[in-house]
Amino acid sequence: MAALLQNLNQFLTAIAGFLTPLALFHVFWSTLLGIIIGALPGLTATMGVALVTTLTYKLPPDLAILILICVYNGAIYGGSRSAILLNIPGTPANAATTLDGFPLARAGLAGKAMGIATSGSVLGSLIGMFFLATVAPILGNYALKFQSFEFFWLAIFGIVISGHLTALEDPMKGWIAGFLGLLTAMVGQEGIHAYDRFAYGKTELLGGFALIPAMVGAFGFAEVLTVMRNPAAEVVQEARDSIIPRLGEVFRYWRTIIRSGLIGTIIGIIPGVGEDIAAWVSYAAARRKSKEREKFGKGSVDGLMAAETGNNACVPGAIIPALTLAIPGSAPAAVLLAAMFIHGVRPGPMIMIESPEFVYQVVAMVFFSTVGMLIFGFTLTKPLLWVLAVPRTRLMPVVFVLCAIGSYAITQRTFDIWVMIGFGIFGFVLREMKYPMAPLVLGIILGDILDKNLRRGLVLSDGDLTPFFTRPISLVLWLITMSSILLSIEPARHALQRGVHACLPRRFHKGG
Amino acid sequence: MAKADFLTGIVLVLLSIFILFESWRMPRFEHLKVHPLSVPGIVPAFLGIIIFIFAVILVVRSIRTGGHHVGVSRESLRHILSRPGNQRLLLTAIISIGYAGFLVGRIPYWLATGLFVFAFVAVFEWPRGVTRREYVRLGLAAGILAVVTSALVTWAFQSLFLVTLP
Repeated sequence: MAALLQNLNQFLTAIAGFLTPLALFHVFWSTLLGIIIGALPGLTATMGVALVTTLTYKLPPDLAILILICVYNGAIYGGSRSAILLNIPGTPANAATTLDGFPLARAGLAGKAMGIATSGSVLGSLIGMFFLATVAPILGNYALKFQSFEFFWLAIFGIVISGHLTALEDPMKGWIAGFLGLLTAMVGQEGIHAYDRFAYGKTELLGGFALIPAMVGAFGFAEVLTVMRNPAAEVVQEARDSIIPRLGEVFRYWRTIIRSGLIGTIIGIIPGVGEDIAAWVSYAAARRKSKEREKFGKGSVDGLMAAETGNNACVPGAIIPALTLAIPGSAPAAVLLAAMFIHGVRPGPMIMIESPEFVYQVVAMVFFSTVGMLIFGFTLTKPLLWVLAVPRTRLMPVVFVLCAIGSYAITQRTFDIWVMIGFGIFGFVLREMKYPMAPLVLGIILGDILDKNLRRGLVLSDGDLTPFFTRPISLVLWLITMSSILLSIEPARHALQRGVHACLPRRFHKGG
Repeated sequence: MAKADFLTGIVLVLLSIFILFESWRMPRFEHLKVHPLSVPGIVPAFLGIIIFIFAVILVVRSIRTGGHHVGVSRESLRHILSRPGNQRLLLTAIISIGYAGFLVGRIPYWLATGLFVFAFVAVFEWPRGVTRREYVRLGLAAGILAVVTSALVTWAFQSLFLVTLP
């Protein structure tokens, strides 16, 4: 109880710290920008956070991270607008929203759908924020027990689980993407003997591929190519009914809200999985438990509420491992993590010792972005409709100009523009062949952790592999990792099922 | 998809062999008496082996579904290129790479950006078989967007964020 009160006190102190005209001004414009970025098909939350990172270099760290969190949270919410009105998810996180949001809009209930999406997003964000405030300090303290063996498995675990959950139809493609990301991180000077790997004398490659240009390419340029390739969206539904829902109507779905909030937060904590999976899993869980199951896919308010609560709860969830382990829970959180390093904040296991107040500042930032979302969500209906009407042929060149200059601005090297172009084409081709992007990005971030900790672990154990498999946390991590791999390989799954079947007593057998 | 998987698998097999070869070539620092398991080639080799295994599975799996019959004819290429979506994709790639890769850094940034935005809008919105008035209207719209984008981005990055533009 005392710890909870202390948490609350630190949270309130952080809130008070941001109650300045300048901070509130930044909350105002960045949340609005995030909603617009999310609402525009072709501009994702990852791309938005990456581009806005380039605009925050000159700002103090707390304001810069405040802006980025507002853009991140706002974009995940903003994507629901195009999902409801155009039947096109503004960001991948809103794909599940289209299933019931668009049918509701087509039935003349666009206002109600937008109101439910706003309520779900706000409540999901608040649930995730609660867990960010309570779980992050615990996880941060627990992470202090991690040694090289655990960090090695955490990196592999992140890649395998992220690869599995982001490519459910063919997990191997997710794993390949993740390991290609790890391989990408091997380029440049390594951290133990300062040897230049795969640089071939090119000074630009000594520092490796910078994350921001790589992500702007993989999520920005690749998206520009995808949007221009697909047929143009034409249908824009108008909201004629009221956008502000009745409280009773929202709280009728309290079970869905709490369940989706929890699912979203947990999926957020899992490295590199992200908001889209959180929305789909929340949606599937709501469908299983709903009394109006037959309405799902035809305009179910329950389904819409689940998807929108799940994806926004995932945002604070994804920040938890980014803050405490320096391992992002989603692709936008990966950019946020990179931005924290750029601004001199050092997330990781030491954060609760070095700067515990920063964790509560981040909780306060999520709170402010949620308030911003609530205000703009219920007030800016018409202006957001105009934004959606901007043709892609006028929007995409402006987006690409920002991709190019944003990549260049960090270190002011034209080489980074080529990195952006290269990763854009690479990302587009991989996406066309159904390889997910999130594990690739996670791999680029985790590469350094894997590299240092595998070698350190091997040196510490003098080549003995036993500690990698027997230390308690390592044991749990590698067991989950291996199960995830084995369960997705058909012959192995069948063998496992046969084994379990043979081991079970006869009464558990079908018909036995 | 089987054909694409087959080709990707082959590329990944070659890539992993290259990674393994390069990892083997990396120094072991014996003269510095460093621990042999801390040498720079260990982790890339580990990743190379894993990617090799996945790539072989990908190739075998795609062969089972007939992915190895990769037939590329001039006719099939022409068919792919005749699709409007692919034409738009190709045009976007050419204009964008032309701007970011070749124009930026060679001519003043504001000019490169203005030209790119104008060209992009003009190419994709060029109306066919309509009046001169509509051409003028399109030219004006593209021109205004180009000038505003170029001026705003140049001002923001140069004066606000103090970036030395390329």
